[in-house]
Amino acid sequence: MIATLLDIVTSAAILYAVAAGLLIVFGVMKIINFAHGGFLTIGGYSALAVTKLGWNPWASLVFATGIGFVAGMIIERLVVKPLYSRPLDAILATWGLGIIIGQLITIAFGREVQFVQSPMSGAIEFAGASYSSYRLVLVLAATVIGVGIAALLQKTRLGLVTRAVIMNEDLARGLGINSGLVRFFTFSLGAALASLAGALITPLSSVDPNMGVPWLVNAFMLVLVSGVSFMSLLVATVVFGGAQVLVSTYVSPVLGGLTIVVAAAVLMRVRPQGFSRE
Amino acid sequence: MSAASALSVSGVSSGYGEAVIVRDVSLAMESGEILALLGKNGMGKSTLLKTIMGFLPVRSGGSIRVFGDTVSGLPPYRVARRAIAYTPQEQALFQDLTVEENLRLGLRDDRTFDAGLARVTKAFAFVGERLAQRAGTLSGGEQKMLLVARALMAAPKLMLIDEITEGLQPSVIERLAGVLRAQRDEFGTAILLVEQNVRFALSVADSFALIKSGEIVDRGRVGDAGAEASIGTHLSV
Repeated sequence: MIATLLDIVTSAAILYAVAAGLLIVFGVMKIINFAHGGFLTIGGYSALAVTKLGWNPWASLVFATGIGFVAGMIIERLVVKPLYSRPLDAILATWGLGIIIGQLITIAFGREVQFVQSPMSGAIEFAGASYSSYRLVLVLAATVIGVGIAALLQKTRLGLVTRAVIMNEDLARGLGINSGLVRFFTFSLGAALASLAGALITPLSSVDPNMGVPWLVNAFMLVLVSGVSFMSLLVATVVFGGAQVLVSTYVSPVLGGLTIVVAAAVLMRVRPQGFSRE
Repeated sequence: MSAASALSVSGVSSGYGEAVIVRDVSLAMESGEILALLGKNGMGKSTLLKTIMGFLPVRSGGSIRVFGDTVSGLPPYRVARRAIAYTPQEQALFQDLTVEENLRLGLRDDRTFDAGLARVTKAFAFVGERLAQRAGTLSGGEQKMLLVARALMAAPKLMLIDEITEGLQPSVIERLAGVLRAQRDEFGTAILLVEQNVRFALSVADSFALIKSGEIVDRGRVGDAGAEASIGTHLSV
């Protein structure tokens, strides 16, 4: 029972870490960044590179975040920015970009499944149950990401202007806010968060050029039911992540993999605003 | 039109898509002047303000200058940074942000918040008392006052105000009139006031311009002989 509860908490934490970057890009730019899975894959391979270089595995988190941020900066300028006035084309471009990232990674690292060194191993006793210490670290990491995003948005000038752009971009521009710069930073931050999430989850599984696809699908559905609210995203990840764990544990792992998509589709049918208040 | 005009609009046409709404408009105003831009619905008043702010492109070779610098062709955020405060007619507040956050967004530099707040609370005391309240929960009149307060936060040199009195009760309108007059008199701010409330506009304005079908059809000083008759003629149904 305790182990199942911890599984729910850690699954929710991982989903939150993955979807947060997608949500912030969606909020500011009004597009779903389908390259998000590609950025997550970049993070996974950044962790692999750290393993191959023999660096401290914890360095993969910083390395992946940096690589993701720089990749996001370059891609926003070269691919996304020219399509600001054509959001549908921008969405298609990010889809293509995700494919290109996967192919480039295949060329550089090969198609085969590979493994990274985990920053920590073993299990610890928690509430009478033995549990993976690294999975508990993931809860901490997701908490730090969540608190960090909340602090950035609520306590800084950058966060205030970002929220203003999310709510009404034209009004923000009329007040002297360079919304293009906000978009640039936000896209780069979203890419960095995806890459960080990729580095965080690889020690639990493996890396391969398509590792981002299932995460992208789940994150996409979570963002759809969350509106533009990080609090709604938190609720969505706990509810749907919990459902995924329960179905995987007590029914079938295969059905568990479909749980979030199906549950989100049902929720959108009966409550179009999803977990959002509006 | 001198180079030192607070605002100089010269031969400006603009519109939406193929539709031309503003046609060859030229007008100028000086620092310390309140200019009322009057006209019926759909005559191009708000379109002209959006064009000045850079939300709509200037067509056919016209130009817009603010304190001598050409701003036509610049994006809105760069126009706004020329000490211009723009209060649009619709969706002008961030409803889900607090009063304080809305005020901060009127500033370029957060460090000047205290000084700006001290200035605007002289005009609107309630603003300082309800900083943590969500802007969307204020009454209609208070929201309009918050709009003006946000515009005043950065001590603008030029204000563009679109239909601020719409739906307001007379006491609030009178209060806003007093604040705008004080801003002109104490700080020399130029104010371009788009209005349908002619009585309010003429009570605060130094000059007026009448716009009809996108063209300026009359321009004069408030109080000039024949001014009221001209306004009445052009605005009559």
